[in-house]
Amino acid sequence: MSRSSVPWLRPLVALAAGAIFAIPLYIALINVFKQSGQVAGGVMSLPSPPTMDNLVRVLTGPDSLFWSSLRTSVLVTSLSIIILTVLSAMLGHYLARHGGWWPRAIMVLLLCGLMIPPQVILIPVTQVLKSFGLMSTLPGLVLFNVGYYVPFGVFVFSGFMKGVPRELEEAAAIDGATRWQTFWRIVFPLLRPATASVLIFLGVWIWNDFINPLIIYGPREGTTIMTGVYKSLGQYAADFGGMFALMFLATLPILVFYLLLQKQFVKGLTGGATKG
Amino acid sequence: MAVGTTERRPGHAGAAVRGSRARRRRWPGLWHFLTFAAPGTLVYLCLVLAPIVLSVGYSLTNQALLRPRTEFVGLRNYELLLRDETFLNSLRVTTILTLIVVIVPNVLGVAIAALLDRRGWLYNALRSVFFTPMVISSVVISVIWTRILADDGPINQALRALGVREPPGWLSDPDIALYSLASIVCWQMLGFCVVVYLAGLQGVPQELAEAAAIDGAGPVRRFLHVTWPLLAPALTINTVVLLISAFKLFDHVKVITNGGPGTGTTASVAFVVLQEGFVENRIGYASAEAVVMLIVIAALSVITLRILQRREVQL
Amino acid sequence: MSTRAKRPALDRRPSNDRMFVKRGAVALAVVLVASGCAGGSPSTPASDGGKQKVSFLVFPSPNLPESYWKSQVDLVTKAHPNLEVELVAAPSESERNDYAKQLAASGQLPDVQIGMQDLTALEPSLAAWTEQELKDFLCPTCGAVNGKVVQLPANTQTIPNVFYNKKLFAKAGIAAPPKTYAELLATADKLKAAGITPFVSGGAFVTSQPWTAALATDLYAKAPDWMSRRRKGEVRFATSPEMKAATQKFADLAAKGYLDKRQIGQDYPKTQEAFLSGKGAMYPMGSWFAAAADASDMKADIGVFAWPGDDGNLRLPAFTGGGLSVSATAANMAAAKEFALAFQLTKENLDASVKADALFPAIKGYTPPSDTGPVFKSVYELWQQALDRQATVPPFGWEAGDAAMLPGMQGKFWSAAQDLVSGKKNVDQVLSFLDTEWEKSG
Repeated sequence: MSRSSVPWLRPLVALAAGAIFAIPLYIALINVFKQSGQVAGGVMSLPSPPTMDNLVRVLTGPDSLFWSSLRTSVLVTSLSIIILTVLSAMLGHYLARHGGWWPRAIMVLLLCGLMIPPQVILIPVTQVLKSFGLMSTLPGLVLFNVGYYVPFGVFVFSGFMKGVPRELEEAAAIDGATRWQTFWRIVFPLLRPATASVLIFLGVWIWNDFINPLIIYGPREGTTIMTGVYKSLGQYAADFGGMFALMFLATLPILVFYLLLQKQFVKGLTGGATKG
Repeated sequence: MAVGTTERRPGHAGAAVRGSRARRRRWPGLWHFLTFAAPGTLVYLCLVLAPIVLSVGYSLTNQALLRPRTEFVGLRNYELLLRDETFLNSLRVTTILTLIVVIVPNVLGVAIAALLDRRGWLYNALRSVFFTPMVISSVVISVIWTRILADDGPINQALRALGVREPPGWLSDPDIALYSLASIVCWQMLGFCVVVYLAGLQGVPQELAEAAAIDGAGPVRRFLHVTWPLLAPALTINTVVLLISAFKLFDHVKVITNGGPGTGTTASVAFVVLQEGFVENRIGYASAEAVVMLIVIAALSVITLRILQRREVQL
Repeated sequence: MSTRAKRPALDRRPSNDRMFVKRGAVALAVVLVASGCAGGSPSTPASDGGKQKVSFLVFPSPNLPESYWKSQVDLVTKAHPNLEVELVAAPSESERNDYAKQLAASGQLPDVQIGMQDLTALEPSLAAWTEQELKDFLCPTCGAVNGKVVQLPANTQTIPNVFYNKKLFAKAGIAAPPKTYAELLATADKLKAAGITPFVSGGAFVTSQPWTAALATDLYAKAPDWMSRRRKGEVRFATSPEMKAATQKFADLAAKGYLDKRQIGQDYPKTQEAFLSGKGAMYPMGSWFAAAADASDMKADIGVFAWPGDDGNLRLPAFTGGGLSVSATAANMAAAKEFALAFQLTKENLDASVKADALFPAIKGYTPPSDTGPVFKSVYELWQQALDRQATVPPFGWEAGDAAMLPGMQGKFWSAAQDLVSGKKNVDQVLSFLDTEWEKSG
């Protein structure tokens, strides 16, 4: 077999493919540590000497754009994904445990929601939020995130829920536990890979979203961090170093979050891909 | 929902659970529904389903937010759409984008997953590398690539160094810009495909491959006849996810080309809908476009899902 | 495949559980620490009970960074301590109109805006100015929409001037700037032969600048009422011979390779940088470029001339308007108007705007400071010359209110310019496209 006869071929090819793939990431990363003048010069060359100026400039900017938008993003993202996890796990539990036309109708409607582009509903959503007095508010944005992403959460959770034996819940019920207790103490802990998938995917999507916050959260209350990046494009247009530093800092929290939960998340995906 | 709320009696939760036996007989799981499913369903109803209904309603009017003299115009917006060069062009743009974004990451994804389907730190690290763009915001990805594809960016610098006098205008030549944009999206989505295919490969029982190897099948034949059929669920997931992502592509268009160069060269349907709705402020017209978009994506998803799942069953 | 090791199944070992809890806790801690840090920063200034709050939509750009807007506002609030102004930034200079319209559409337009261009579309959302409020402005009715003045006509800009690089002209053996259109073509040809890109071009609105110039000398010089006739439906883009001739001139510049079509994907700041780093000899651009030119090292090497017509007579496209406007739904209308008027009439503010953005304030009795840069001086002089000879015409695509194209058309005009330069469409196709879009906007 060719594979065993040249054992170094696979790692070499894999490494080469990975290196080519990663060039854009490399360019973005080195530009964070280059002097602004240098950035316009050789794009591929290593920074010499590396500088922290760009990062410091963004972190200590007089408008404190970075810190205030970081705070907004952390709030919006963590609130959204916590509420989403709770609501979609419970909704998934209900849908996995009941047959009949009514749960099935909800399931179909939710599945439709998976493919609705936000652009299709954004115009009326602003009207709905306005009528609740939630337009241009943080709760309004969180609520929209919850509504828009709940189908994804339910989709993941209800699939996993089917792998949790009903007998566990029945046994707990015989022991006198209420459904609420059973769910949170026995069923939910078994759904960890699914929870990790939901947290990571939704965390990444919501953190990185820029058009929904741009329209829903409005201009006055500040911005989420990616909307902030988008809105800074004009200001940083001639300052690539500052731009890349801002983008790096805006990406770092979600990248760390992903790396921390990565292992569980791959398992969650595995379950989904092989069991359907 | 209506039934649920009319039957709801005041009183505390504990008492209601104990007294719910009679109701449970008529409505299996009603209490379960109210406590577990109702909150999520309600938010979804208000912020997704109701807006869709509203969109359909708006699409039958000439509403424009800045000129509040709305009239019912029936299907006129839809008639106009059929003759609107901008909208028809956006359908063409989205079709091309979708075809490329569904096919390329799928093909490359299988190849790279097969390459990385080994244990060890190197392969784990590479898997993370391929997945990283999925975790990064489209805005950031778009800015990075705009820089790379600029006329004085690294690619054209390299081409000039190789003696190409007039390297292509990756984002400014109307014949190329759309394909540059599609490539960027492919690059970003590739990691997702790789991870899903890798997960699928883990589910392939190695006994099957061994048996085929003993029968004298080469690596290519083993892949085509043993591994690939077993990757059917992964293919389904990837195809549907790519299809939906490509169809609602907006962020990259907005940041990289803003629909240009020129008129509508890279203006996707999602871009045109938001442009009409929030910039030109033609709410009625934009809603009609949104409804058409929704119908197309729903039809495409259902058809794709049907075909791929039938294939899964047959295999 | 035979060497492949068996993978552990999807088991849930307790160690994994603990791991998960641990990682979750770490993630949560990171989140909390991050938000804690952020919470400590002065993101929201404590509001003073007695102050009137006004929100102000501005557009940060390389010329006008966030700090410029801050200091401009500080000048006003120093003299009007009762006002507290909150800055709202639009994504970029070229997108500020789209952004404002989007905010207006979702009912979130800030109280005061600067430099809005699509006044017809925004008119229902804007408050009208009274004659009394407009008494200090040179052209109090400029930019009126349906007879209503909704934007303070605060300054004049000439769009475009042709900025040129004296060193590159000398290098190509060109002694003096061209006086007629034929000379302009000859100049471009000489530059091209010397291996120099004749015109620096760029994306967004930059592409259309030579077109606006050609329309000034060939259309507006002959038919000053063209736009109002187009609005009445008496002329059309596709059937108007002057329009066609001017557009053909612009298309020919691209066809002859005097404009580099690869530059139409370039954003505005980069385009400016390209000219300032000598990547092209001529740069047709609005008078505001003088500010960036004077701030650069090559200010002494930049000259200015007006885009020449066939006959060589001076025609300079000039536009008055572009000042502040106030939202019709401003929470505190009196404060918003007070701020807007103070911003436009305070001498220090005007001086700063002259220096940072090379504006020509259209305020009665105002003269620019004497310490401006050489490029500003020559642009200003050119404008004064045009005023003396009554040679100003409207800048096509930049007019405001009733003198402008219909709402939404400006963007189509810009993208149509790119289609001409890239060769995607020919002159007839572009002109009939503009007619079609015009019908759609109406």
